[in-house]
Amino acid sequence: MDTPDKAVTVERAYDDLLRRSLSHITGDLARLIYLASTRDYNTGKYHHDGLAAHFQTEIACQALELAHRKTFYRVAGRSLEELVGELDLYVNSSRQNRDDVLQVWQKLEPYRVALPVNVDVVAAQLFVSNIKLALAILRQRLARELTAQAS
Amino acid sequence: MIDFLSLIAGVLLVLMLMAVATKGWMGSRQLPDPVPGSSEGEPTEPCPKEFVSRVFSRGDWEFVHGLKSRGMERLFEHERKKVALVWVRQTSALVRNAIREHARAARQSKNLDFLGEINILAQFLILILSCRVLSIAIHIAGPVRLSGLAQFAQRLSQQVDRLQESLHAGVLAGASGTRAT
Repeated sequence: MDTPDKAVTVERAYDDLLRRSLSHITGDLARLIYLASTRDYNTGKYHHDGLAAHFQTEIACQALELAHRKTFYRVAGRSLEELVGELDLYVNSSRQNRDDVLQVWQKLEPYRVALPVNVDVVAAQLFVSNIKLALAILRQRLARELTAQAS
Repeated sequence: MIDFLSLIAGVLLVLMLMAVATKGWMGSRQLPDPVPGSSEGEPTEPCPKEFVSRVFSRGDWEFVHGLKSRGMERLFEHERKKVALVWVRQTSALVRNAIREHARAARQSKNLDFLGEINILAQFLILILSCRVLSIAIHIAGPVRLSGLAQFAQRLSQQVDRLQESLHAGVLAGASGTRAT
């Protein structure tokens, strides 16, 4: 059980994270991927040097976990149309070829690693399912654009 | 003659029910593996309501339908059916867990309310049957095709909440009763 002081500190660290790091990232999907990348694959612990320097490592870890969960539930609750927009934004912001990114995402399914631990199974399944659909929709859209340009 | 026709009608009805039940059972065997990270093992809380609405909402279907691609529609139906069945399975597991917990508490209680227990058993049976009906309807029509399915799912979700509340109240009453004796 967290003491009230500790909970307040986690909240402060969370606000700091929102203000300093997450506000510079465009789109919730990109934020989700970023937050998942701060988690160690072996230990499941989150780490952020700047946040750990301001607060303690454990507090920073909890703030990152909180942000990860909140962002995940926000993205998972989006309509399919909104998620297609989010994914489009994410793919456009990476400097790689759009079709290559979409193809790799379809094959390797890296978005599965973006799930926080112990989230609701229906929300998790809905997220994975909607990302699959959004990828298919964007690839189809891209193929139509290329066909239109060629003709 | 009428008896013979009734017999045939009865046999046909039983065969139809068996076919539907088998389809439902076969479908449940093909459910996806749990997504990594998700907490499917022992559900203790129902899925947040906004996700239930999202799974059964027609909004996403209308968006996909507007893309005018039969392939995309098929993919959507396949994917949404999977999610809907995961929700039914989660709800069903939640009800069974709640009843198991209640049975454990009831065994230790010294002053059981017989009528109350019958009422809980009836609620439990209705909820499990509702999950089966919903599962079959999803298999046959998909989660977004039937307009009444979303309301049915929401009602089921509310009933599970009520069952949990009444079980919780029963456990508390039982605990205070045990202390009083």
